[in-house]
Amino acid sequence: MDAVQTLPFEVAWSDLIPSVQAHNGDRKRVPTSGMTDPVQESESAFEAKLIRRIAEGDPSAFDALYKRFSGSLYCLAYRMMNDAKEAEDVLQEGFTYLWRKAASYDPNRSSPFAWAVMITRNKAIDRLRVRQRLEKIREKATSEESFFQNKDETSANEPTLRERSAMVRSALQEIPQEQRQALELAFFGGLTHEQIAERLETPLGTIKARIRRGLLRLRDCLKEGL
Amino acid sequence: MIDESKQDLLIQYLLNELDSSTAEKIGDELQANAELRDFVRETEDALASMACGWPPMKAPAGLPQRILQQERNLAKGLTSRSRARIVQLVLPWALAACLAVVCVVLAMERTSLEKKTEQVSQELLSLQQKNSRFEEELTMLQKKNARLEQDFATQQKKNVLAELKIATLKAQVAAYRSASAVVVWDKDQESGVLQLDRLPPPATGRDYQLWVIDPKIAQPVSAGVLSVPNAGLIRTSFHPVSPIESAAAFAISLEKAGGAPKPEGQIILVGK
Repeated sequence: MDAVQTLPFEVAWSDLIPSVQAHNGDRKRVPTSGMTDPVQESESAFEAKLIRRIAEGDPSAFDALYKRFSGSLYCLAYRMMNDAKEAEDVLQEGFTYLWRKAASYDPNRSSPFAWAVMITRNKAIDRLRVRQRLEKIREKATSEESFFQNKDETSANEPTLRERSAMVRSALQEIPQEQRQALELAFFGGLTHEQIAERLETPLGTIKARIRRGLLRLRDCLKEGL
Repeated sequence: MIDESKQDLLIQYLLNELDSSTAEKIGDELQANAELRDFVRETEDALASMACGWPPMKAPAGLPQRILQQERNLAKGLTSRSRARIVQLVLPWALAACLAVVCVVLAMERTSLEKKTEQVSQELLSLQQKNSRFEEELTMLQKKNARLEQDFATQQKKNVLAELKIATLKAQVAAYRSASAVVVWDKDQESGVLQLDRLPPPATGRDYQLWVIDPKIAQPVSAGVLSVPNAGLIRTSFHPVSPIESAAAFAISLEKAGGAPKPEGQIILVGK
Protein backbone atom coordinates (compact mmCIF):
# COMPACT_ATOMS: atom_id res chain seq x y z
CA MET A 1 0.00 0.00 0.00
CA ASP A 2 2.92 2.37 -0.64
CA ALA A 3 0.89 4.33 -3.13
CA VAL A 4 -1.64 5.23 -0.45
CA GLN A 5 1.07 6.57 1.84
CA THR A 6 2.93 8.65 -0.73
CA LEU A 7 0.08 10.24 -2.64
CA PRO A 8 0.07 13.88 -1.51
CA PHE A 9 -3.41 14.73 -2.71
CA GLU A 10 -6.91 13.69 -1.93
CA VAL A 11 -7.51 10.20 -3.25
CA ALA A 12 -10.68 8.24 -3.49
CA TRP A 13 -10.64 4.51 -2.76
CA SER A 14 -11.89 3.96 -6.26
CA ASP A 15 -8.78 5.70 -7.52
CA LEU A 16 -6.50 3.48 -5.54
CA ILE A 17 -7.86 0.11 -6.53
CA PRO A 18 -6.51 0.14 -10.11
CA SER A 19 -3.18 1.46 -8.80
CA VAL A 20 -2.92 -1.47 -6.42
CA GLN A 21 -3.66 -3.80 -9.27
CA ALA A 22 -0.88 -2.25 -11.28
CA HIS A 23 1.62 -3.40 -8.65
CA ASN A 24 1.03 -6.89 -9.75
CA GLY A 25 2.36 -6.23 -13.21
CA ASP A 26 1.39 -4.72 -16.51
CA ARG A 27 -2.19 -3.78 -17.11
CA LYS A 28 -4.57 -5.94 -18.96
CA ARG A 29 -5.20 -4.08 -22.13
CA VAL A 30 -7.23 -4.60 -25.14
CA PRO A 31 -8.28 -1.31 -26.68
CA THR A 32 -10.10 0.37 -28.20
CA SER A 33 -12.18 3.42 -27.42
CA GLY A 34 -14.69 2.10 -29.86
CA MET A 35 -15.23 -0.86 -27.62
CA THR A 36 -17.80 -0.70 -24.90
CA ASP A 37 -15.95 -2.62 -22.20
CA PRO A 38 -16.80 -0.62 -19.02
CA VAL A 39 -13.76 -1.96 -17.19
CA GLN A 40 -11.59 -0.76 -20.02
CA GLU A 41 -13.24 2.66 -19.98
CA SER A 42 -12.78 2.91 -16.23
CA GLU A 43 -9.11 2.04 -16.56
CA SER A 44 -8.70 4.57 -19.33
CA ALA A 45 -10.33 7.26 -17.20
CA PHE A 46 -8.11 6.36 -14.26
CA GLU A 47 -5.01 6.49 -16.45
CA ALA A 48 -6.11 9.87 -17.82
CA LYS A 49 -6.42 11.05 -14.22
CA LEU A 50 -2.92 9.79 -13.50
CA ILE A 51 -1.61 11.75 -16.48
CA ARG A 52 -3.33 14.88 -15.18
CA ARG A 53 -1.63 14.35 -11.81
CA ILE A 54 1.68 13.83 -13.55
CA ALA A 55 1.12 17.15 -15.31
CA GLU A 56 0.76 18.67 -11.85
CA GLY A 57 4.12 17.19 -10.90
CA ASP A 58 2.96 14.26 -8.80
CA PRO A 59 5.75 11.63 -8.62
CA SER A 60 3.49 8.95 -7.16
CA ALA A 61 1.15 9.19 -10.16
CA PHE A 62 4.14 8.89 -12.44
CA ASP A 63 5.25 5.79 -10.58
CA ALA A 64 1.77 4.32 -10.81
CA LEU A 65 1.53 4.92 -14.55
CA TYR A 66 4.97 3.40 -15.02
CA LYS A 67 3.85 0.28 -13.23
CA ARG A 68 0.81 0.04 -15.48
CA PHE A 69 2.48 0.70 -18.85
CA SER A 70 6.15 -0.16 -18.54
CA GLY A 71 5.87 -3.91 -19.21
CA SER A 72 4.11 -3.48 -22.56
CA LEU A 73 6.14 -0.44 -23.53
CA TYR A 74 9.41 -2.13 -22.66
CA CYS A 75 8.30 -5.11 -24.74
CA LEU A 76 7.53 -2.78 -27.62
CA ALA A 77 10.87 -1.01 -27.28
CA TYR A 78 12.71 -4.30 -27.07
CA ARG A 79 10.89 -5.62 -30.09
CA MET A 80 11.82 -2.54 -32.07
CA MET A 81 15.44 -2.16 -30.88
CA ASN A 82 16.23 -5.84 -30.32
CA ASP A 83 18.58 -4.79 -27.56
CA ALA A 84 17.83 -4.69 -23.84
CA LYS A 85 20.01 -1.66 -23.09
CA GLU A 86 18.63 0.33 -25.99
CA ALA A 87 15.12 -0.74 -25.10
CA GLU A 88 15.70 0.60 -21.58
CA ASP A 89 17.02 3.85 -23.02
CA VAL A 90 13.95 4.15 -25.24
CA LEU A 91 11.70 3.46 -22.27
CA GLN A 92 13.50 6.12 -20.24
CA GLU A 93 13.24 8.66 -23.04
CA GLY A 94 9.57 7.83 -23.53
CA PHE A 95 8.68 8.22 -19.88
CA THR A 96 10.81 11.35 -19.60
CA TYR A 97 8.83 12.81 -22.50
CA LEU A 98 5.61 11.69 -20.84
CA TRP A 99 6.62 13.41 -17.57
CA ARG A 100 7.45 16.63 -19.35
CA LYS A 101 4.55 16.67 -21.80
CA ALA A 102 1.78 15.24 -19.63
CA ALA A 103 0.04 18.60 -19.70
CA SER A 104 -0.30 18.34 -23.48
CA TYR A 105 -2.20 15.05 -23.34
CA ASP A 106 -5.67 15.36 -24.91
CA PRO A 107 -8.04 12.58 -23.81
CA ASN A 108 -10.36 13.41 -26.71
CA ARG A 109 -7.72 12.47 -29.26
CA SER A 110 -6.01 9.43 -27.76
CA SER A 111 -6.42 6.92 -25.02
CA PRO A 112 -3.64 7.18 -22.41
CA PHE A 113 -2.16 3.82 -23.41
CA ALA A 114 -2.21 4.62 -27.16
CA TRP A 115 -0.59 7.98 -26.39
CA ALA A 116 2.15 6.28 -24.37
CA VAL A 117 2.66 3.61 -27.06
CA MET A 118 3.03 6.21 -29.79
CA ILE A 119 5.49 8.20 -27.70
CA THR A 120 7.60 5.12 -27.07
CA ARG A 121 7.39 4.02 -30.68
CA ASN A 122 8.45 7.47 -31.92
CA LYS A 123 11.41 7.48 -29.54
CA ALA A 124 12.44 4.07 -30.80
CA ILE A 125 12.11 5.16 -34.43
CA ASP A 126 14.22 8.26 -33.71
CA ARG A 127 16.95 6.02 -32.36
CA LEU A 128 16.64 3.59 -35.24
CA ARG A 129 16.97 6.38 -37.73
CA VAL A 130 19.79 8.11 -35.96
CA ARG A 131 21.83 4.97 -35.58
CA GLN A 132 21.07 3.76 -39.06
CA ARG A 133 20.40 0.35 -37.86
CA LEU A 134 17.29 -0.12 -39.89
CA GLU A 135 18.61 -2.98 -41.96
CA LYS A 136 19.52 -5.03 -38.95
CA ILE A 137 16.19 -4.34 -37.34
CA ARG A 138 14.25 -5.10 -40.51
CA GLU A 139 15.60 -8.61 -40.58
CA LYS A 140 14.43 -9.24 -37.08
CA ALA A 141 11.30 -7.15 -37.13
CA THR A 142 9.04 -10.10 -37.66
CA SER A 143 10.94 -12.42 -35.37
CA GLU A 144 9.21 -13.24 -32.11
CA GLU A 145 11.49 -15.76 -30.48
CA SER A 146 13.60 -13.54 -28.28
CA PHE A 147 10.77 -11.81 -26.40
CA PHE A 148 9.67 -14.68 -24.35
CA GLN A 149 13.03 -15.27 -22.74
CA ASN A 150 12.75 -11.97 -20.82
CA LYS A 151 9.07 -11.95 -20.31
CA ASP A 152 7.60 -10.77 -17.04
CA GLU A 153 6.45 -14.04 -15.53
CA THR A 154 4.43 -12.31 -12.88
CA SER A 155 2.42 -10.38 -15.39
CA ALA A 156 2.12 -13.24 -17.80
CA ASN A 157 0.74 -15.47 -15.15
CA GLU A 158 -2.10 -13.16 -14.46
CA PRO A 159 -5.05 -14.95 -16.07
CA THR A 160 -6.85 -11.93 -17.39
CA LEU A 161 -3.74 -10.38 -18.83
CA ARG A 162 -2.69 -13.62 -20.39
CA GLU A 163 -6.15 -13.94 -21.83
CA ARG A 164 -6.05 -10.42 -23.23
CA SER A 165 -2.58 -10.87 -24.63
CA ALA A 166 -3.69 -14.04 -26.27
CA MET A 167 -6.68 -12.19 -27.63
CA VAL A 168 -4.48 -9.67 -29.38
CA ARG A 169 -2.24 -12.43 -30.70
CA SER A 170 -5.28 -14.27 -31.99
CA ALA A 171 -6.55 -11.11 -33.58
CA LEU A 172 -3.22 -10.69 -35.31
CA GLN A 173 -3.46 -14.30 -36.47
CA GLU A 174 -6.81 -13.49 -38.03
CA ILE A 175 -5.09 -11.04 -40.31
CA PRO A 176 -3.71 -12.48 -43.55
CA GLN A 177 0.03 -13.11 -43.31
CA GLU A 178 1.06 -10.52 -45.91
CA GLN A 179 -1.06 -7.85 -44.18
CA ARG A 180 0.37 -8.71 -40.77
CA GLN A 181 3.88 -8.66 -42.16
CA ALA A 182 3.41 -5.21 -43.68
CA LEU A 183 1.74 -3.98 -40.51
CA GLU A 184 4.51 -5.25 -38.26
CA LEU A 185 7.21 -3.85 -40.51
CA ALA A 186 5.49 -0.49 -40.30
CA PHE A 187 4.73 -0.57 -36.58
CA PHE A 188 7.70 -2.38 -35.06
CA GLY A 189 10.26 -1.85 -37.81
CA GLY A 190 9.53 1.82 -38.18
CA LEU A 191 9.63 1.52 -41.95
CA THR A 192 7.67 3.84 -44.15
CA HIS A 193 5.21 2.55 -46.72
CA GLU A 194 7.78 3.21 -49.45
CA GLN A 195 10.54 1.36 -47.58
CA ILE A 196 8.25 -1.64 -47.04
CA ALA A 197 7.28 -1.65 -50.71
CA GLU A 198 10.94 -1.58 -51.63
CA ARG A 199 11.89 -4.28 -49.18
CA LEU A 200 9.08 -6.62 -50.19
CA GLU A 201 9.41 -5.68 -53.86
CA THR A 202 5.72 -4.92 -53.93
CA PRO A 203 3.91 -1.92 -55.39
CA LEU A 204 3.36 0.94 -52.96
CA GLY A 205 -0.38 0.87 -53.49
CA THR A 206 -0.50 -2.77 -52.53
CA ILE A 207 1.48 -2.09 -49.36
CA LYS A 208 -0.83 0.76 -48.45
CA ALA A 209 -3.83 -1.47 -48.97
CA ARG A 210 -2.30 -4.32 -46.94
CA ILE A 211 -1.53 -2.03 -44.03
CA ARG A 212 -4.93 -0.38 -44.17
CA ARG A 213 -6.84 -3.59 -44.41
CA GLY A 214 -4.72 -5.32 -41.78
CA LEU A 215 -5.13 -2.49 -39.34
CA LEU A 216 -8.87 -2.18 -39.87
CA ARG A 217 -9.22 -5.93 -39.55
CA LEU A 218 -7.30 -5.87 -36.28
CA ARG A 219 -9.50 -3.05 -35.05
CA ASP A 220 -12.65 -4.91 -35.97
CA CYS A 221 -11.45 -8.18 -34.44
CA LEU A 222 -10.63 -6.52 -31.17
CA LYS A 223 -13.89 -4.59 -31.21
CA GLU A 224 -15.86 -7.75 -31.73
CA GLY A 225 -13.79 -9.64 -29.16
CA LEU A 226 -12.86 -12.09 -31.88
CA MET B 1 -17.56 7.84 -45.03
CA ILE B 2 -13.81 8.21 -45.30
CA ASP B 3 -12.36 7.09 -48.61
CA GLU B 4 -9.43 4.70 -48.76
CA SER B 5 -6.83 7.22 -49.85
CA LYS B 6 -7.80 9.41 -46.91
CA GLN B 7 -7.61 6.39 -44.62
CA ASP B 8 -4.13 5.62 -45.97
CA LEU B 9 -3.08 9.20 -45.27
CA LEU B 10 -4.47 9.04 -41.73
CA ILE B 11 -2.68 5.73 -41.11
CA GLN B 12 0.57 7.28 -42.32
CA TYR B 13 -0.15 10.17 -39.98
CA LEU B 14 -0.51 7.73 -37.09
CA LEU B 15 2.68 5.93 -38.09
CA ASN B 16 4.50 9.25 -38.08
CA GLU B 17 5.50 8.97 -41.73
CA LEU B 18 4.31 12.36 -42.94
CA ASP B 19 6.37 15.49 -43.19
CA SER B 20 5.65 18.16 -40.62
CA SER B 21 3.55 20.44 -42.82
CA THR B 22 1.25 17.61 -44.01
CA ALA B 23 0.99 16.32 -40.44
CA GLU B 24 0.02 19.81 -39.30
CA LYS B 25 -2.73 20.00 -41.91
CA ILE B 26 -4.06 16.61 -40.81
CA GLY B 27 -3.98 17.83 -37.23
CA ASP B 28 -6.11 20.83 -38.21
CA GLU B 29 -8.54 18.57 -40.07
CA LEU B 30 -8.88 16.36 -37.04
CA GLN B 31 -9.73 19.35 -34.92
CA ALA B 32 -12.57 20.21 -37.23
CA ASN B 33 -13.85 16.76 -38.25
CA ALA B 34 -15.24 14.41 -35.61
CA GLU B 35 -15.55 11.48 -38.04
CA LEU B 36 -11.86 11.71 -38.92
CA ARG B 37 -11.04 12.08 -35.25
CA ASP B 38 -12.98 8.95 -34.33
CA PHE B 39 -11.32 7.00 -37.12
CA VAL B 40 -7.86 8.07 -36.02
CA ARG B 41 -8.57 7.31 -32.39
CA GLU B 42 -9.90 3.82 -33.09
CA THR B 43 -7.09 3.05 -35.52
CA GLU B 44 -4.51 4.37 -33.07
CA ASP B 45 -5.93 2.13 -30.36
CA ALA B 46 -5.68 -0.84 -32.72
CA LEU B 47 -2.07 0.06 -33.51
CA ALA B 48 -1.27 0.50 -29.84
CA SER B 49 -2.80 -2.86 -29.06
CA MET B 50 -0.02 -4.45 -31.07
CA ALA B 51 2.30 -3.42 -28.25
CA CYS B 52 0.49 -5.74 -25.86
CA GLY B 53 0.12 -8.56 -28.31
CA TRP B 54 3.04 -10.25 -26.59
CA PRO B 55 3.59 -10.96 -22.92
CA PRO B 56 4.85 -7.85 -21.14
CA MET B 57 8.52 -7.82 -20.23
CA LYS B 58 9.84 -6.95 -16.83
CA ALA B 59 10.73 -3.30 -17.11
CA PRO B 60 13.82 -1.94 -15.34
CA ALA B 61 13.10 -1.24 -11.69
CA GLY B 62 13.73 2.23 -10.35
CA LEU B 63 13.50 3.88 -13.74
CA PRO B 64 10.83 6.42 -12.66
CA GLN B 65 13.03 7.46 -9.74
CA ARG B 66 16.00 7.83 -12.07
CA ILE B 67 13.92 9.91 -14.48
CA LEU B 68 12.60 12.15 -11.71
CA GLN B 69 16.09 12.58 -10.25
CA GLN B 70 17.38 13.43 -13.71
CA GLU B 71 14.59 15.97 -14.16
CA ARG B 72 15.32 17.51 -10.78
CA ASN B 73 19.01 17.74 -11.61
CA LEU B 74 18.15 19.23 -14.97
CA ALA B 75 15.85 21.76 -13.35
CA LYS B 76 18.59 22.67 -10.87
CA GLY B 77 21.10 22.91 -13.70
CA LEU B 78 18.71 25.05 -15.69
CA THR B 79 18.06 27.21 -12.69
CA SER B 80 21.75 27.66 -11.97
CA ARG B 81 22.46 28.19 -15.66
CA SER B 82 19.56 30.62 -15.83
CA ARG B 83 20.97 32.43 -12.83
CA ALA B 84 24.41 32.43 -14.37
CA ARG B 85 22.93 33.62 -17.65
CA ILE B 86 20.94 36.30 -15.87
CA VAL B 87 24.07 37.31 -14.01
CA GLN B 88 25.99 37.33 -17.29
CA LEU B 89 23.31 39.42 -18.94
CA VAL B 90 22.47 41.69 -16.08
CA LEU B 91 25.87 42.18 -14.47
CA PRO B 92 27.44 44.25 -17.26
CA TRP B 93 24.34 46.41 -17.47
CA ALA B 94 24.20 46.70 -13.71
CA LEU B 95 27.85 47.70 -13.65
CA ALA B 96 27.26 50.14 -16.48
CA ALA B 97 24.26 51.56 -14.64
CA CYS B 98 26.29 51.85 -11.45
CA LEU B 99 29.10 53.51 -13.38
CA ALA B 100 26.65 55.92 -14.98
CA VAL B 101 25.15 56.75 -11.58
CA VAL B 102 28.62 57.22 -10.13
CA CYS B 103 29.56 59.46 -13.09
CA VAL B 104 26.41 61.53 -12.62
CA VAL B 105 27.04 61.79 -8.89
CA LEU B 106 30.68 62.71 -9.48
CA ALA B 107 29.69 65.25 -12.14
CA MET B 108 27.18 66.80 -9.74
CA GLU B 109 29.76 66.68 -6.99
CA ARG B 110 32.31 68.27 -9.29
CA THR B 111 29.88 71.03 -10.29
CA SER B 112 29.05 71.59 -6.65
CA LEU B 113 32.74 71.62 -5.71
CA GLU B 114 33.52 74.00 -8.55
CA LYS B 115 30.82 76.34 -7.29
CA LYS B 116 32.12 76.01 -3.76
CA THR B 117 35.67 76.57 -4.95
CA GLU B 118 34.56 79.67 -6.82
CA GLN B 119 32.69 80.85 -3.75
CA VAL B 120 35.68 80.12 -1.53
CA SER B 121 37.98 81.86 -4.01
CA GLN B 122 35.72 84.89 -3.99
CA GLU B 123 35.54 84.75 -0.22
CA LEU B 124 39.30 84.36 -0.07
CA LEU B 125 39.74 87.31 -2.39
CA SER B 126 37.29 89.27 -0.32
CA LEU B 127 39.10 88.22 2.85
CA GLN B 128 42.44 89.14 1.31
CA GLN B 129 41.04 92.52 0.40
CA LYS B 130 39.65 92.85 3.89
CA ASN B 131 42.96 91.72 5.27
CA SER B 132 44.74 94.36 3.22
CA ARG B 133 42.31 96.91 4.52
CA PHE B 134 42.77 95.61 8.05
CA GLU B 135 46.53 95.71 7.63
CA GLU B 136 46.27 99.26 6.39
CA GLU B 137 43.96 100.08 9.26
CA LEU B 138 46.30 98.28 11.62
CA THR B 139 49.22 100.29 10.32
CA MET B 140 47.18 103.42 10.72
CA LEU B 141 46.10 102.33 14.18
CA GLN B 142 49.65 101.47 15.10
CA LYS B 143 50.70 104.91 13.94
CA LYS B 144 47.82 106.38 15.86
CA ASN B 145 48.77 104.27 18.81
CA ALA B 146 52.33 105.44 18.57
CA ARG B 147 51.09 108.97 18.41
CA LEU B 148 48.74 108.32 21.26
CA GLU B 149 51.51 106.76 23.27
CA GLN B 150 53.61 109.78 22.56
CA ASP B 151 50.67 111.96 23.48
CA PHE B 152 50.11 109.88 26.53
CA ALA B 153 53.74 110.14 27.56
CA THR B 154 53.60 113.84 26.98
CA GLN B 155 50.35 114.00 28.84
CA GLN B 156 51.78 111.95 31.65
CA LYS B 157 54.61 114.34 31.90
CA LYS B 158 52.11 117.13 31.85
CA ASN B 159 50.04 115.36 34.46
CA VAL B 160 52.99 114.84 36.73
CA LEU B 161 53.61 118.54 36.72
CA ALA B 162 49.89 119.16 36.98
CA GLU B 163 49.58 116.90 39.99
CA LEU B 164 52.43 118.52 41.81
CA LYS B 165 51.69 121.19 44.36
CA ILE B 166 54.42 123.45 45.62
CA ALA B 167 53.85 125.34 48.74
CA THR B 168 56.15 127.72 50.49
CA LEU B 169 55.69 127.76 54.24
CA LYS B 170 56.17 131.08 56.00
CA ALA B 171 57.00 131.67 59.59
CA GLN B 172 54.14 132.52 61.96
CA VAL B 173 56.43 133.26 64.89
CA ALA B 174 59.07 135.94 64.88
CA ALA B 175 61.71 133.67 66.35
CA TYR B 176 61.54 131.62 63.20
CA ARG B 177 61.43 134.51 60.77
CA SER B 178 64.65 133.45 59.02
CA ALA B 179 63.55 129.87 58.62
CA SER B 180 62.06 128.73 55.32
CA ALA B 181 60.37 125.61 54.20
CA VAL B 182 59.14 124.43 50.80
CA VAL B 183 56.80 121.49 50.26
CA VAL B 184 56.45 119.73 46.95
CA TRP B 185 53.25 117.56 47.13
CA ASP B 186 52.51 114.80 44.67
CA LYS B 187 48.79 114.34 44.59
CA ASP B 188 48.88 110.98 42.90
CA GLN B 189 51.47 109.52 45.17
CA GLU B 190 49.97 111.24 48.23
CA SER B 191 53.46 111.98 49.35
CA GLY B 192 55.74 114.89 49.28
CA VAL B 193 59.17 116.34 49.83
CA LEU B 194 59.97 118.95 52.43
CA GLN B 195 62.99 121.18 52.28
CA LEU B 196 63.96 123.17 55.42
CA ASP B 197 66.52 125.79 55.80
CA ARG B 198 67.72 127.69 58.82
CA LEU B 199 65.25 126.06 61.16
CA PRO B 200 66.81 125.70 64.56
CA PRO B 201 66.72 122.32 66.24
CA PRO B 202 63.83 122.03 68.69
CA ALA B 203 64.29 122.35 72.41
CA THR B 204 64.74 119.24 74.47
CA GLY B 205 61.47 117.36 74.91
CA ARG B 206 60.04 119.01 71.92
CA ASP B 207 59.77 117.97 68.17
CA TYR B 208 58.69 119.63 65.02
CA GLN B 209 55.71 117.90 63.42
CA LEU B 210 54.50 118.37 59.83
CA TRP B 211 50.73 118.53 59.15
CA VAL B 212 48.69 118.32 55.95
CA ILE B 213 45.44 120.24 55.97
CA ASP B 214 42.66 118.70 53.91
CA PRO B 215 39.41 120.73 53.89
CA LYS B 216 37.39 117.54 53.86
CA ILE B 217 39.02 116.24 57.00
CA ALA B 218 38.20 117.92 60.29
CA GLN B 219 41.64 117.55 61.83
CA PRO B 220 45.02 118.22 60.18
CA VAL B 221 46.63 114.96 59.18
CA SER B 222 50.05 114.22 60.60
CA ALA B 223 52.83 113.80 58.07
CA GLY B 224 55.32 112.79 60.68
CA VAL B 225 57.85 114.19 63.16
CA LEU B 226 60.71 116.11 61.56
CA SER B 227 64.23 115.33 62.46
CA VAL B 228 66.08 118.62 62.63
CA PRO B 229 69.55 118.07 64.07
CA ASN B 230 70.87 121.46 62.97
CA ALA B 231 69.76 124.63 61.33
CA GLY B 232 71.16 123.78 57.94
CA LEU B 233 69.46 122.75 54.73
CA ILE B 234 67.39 119.64 55.30
CA ARG B 235 65.41 117.70 52.71
CA THR B 236 63.11 114.90 53.66
CA SER B 237 60.18 113.05 52.15
CA PHE B 238 56.98 112.49 54.02
CA HIS B 239 53.77 110.48 53.92
CA PRO B 240 50.57 111.51 55.75
CA VAL B 241 49.26 108.89 58.18
CA SER B 242 45.86 108.80 56.49
CA PRO B 243 44.72 109.36 52.87
CA ILE B 244 44.58 112.90 51.63
CA GLU B 245 42.12 113.85 48.99
CA SER B 246 43.13 117.41 48.58
CA ALA B 247 46.12 118.99 50.25
CA ALA B 248 45.04 122.57 50.74
CA ALA B 249 47.85 123.66 53.09
CA PHE B 250 50.85 122.42 55.02
CA ALA B 251 51.96 123.40 58.47
CA ILE B 252 54.82 122.72 60.89
CA SER B 253 54.08 122.89 64.58
CA LEU B 254 56.20 122.49 67.70
CA GLU B 255 54.88 119.51 69.61
CA LYS B 256 55.95 117.40 72.49
CA ALA B 257 58.70 114.92 71.79
CA GLY B 258 57.52 112.07 69.56
CA GLY B 259 54.69 114.09 68.10
CA ALA B 260 50.97 114.15 68.74
CA PRO B 261 48.01 112.54 66.91
CA LYS B 262 46.47 115.96 66.43
CA PRO B 263 48.03 119.44 66.57
CA GLU B 264 48.49 120.67 70.14
CA GLY B 265 51.49 122.95 69.94
CA GLN B 266 52.10 126.24 68.27
CA ILE B 267 52.23 126.52 64.45
CA ILE B 268 55.60 127.78 63.42
CA LEU B 269 55.44 127.66 59.63
CA VAL B 270 52.44 127.44 57.34
CA GLY B 271 51.79 127.67 53.63
CA LYS B 272 49.34 126.93 50.90
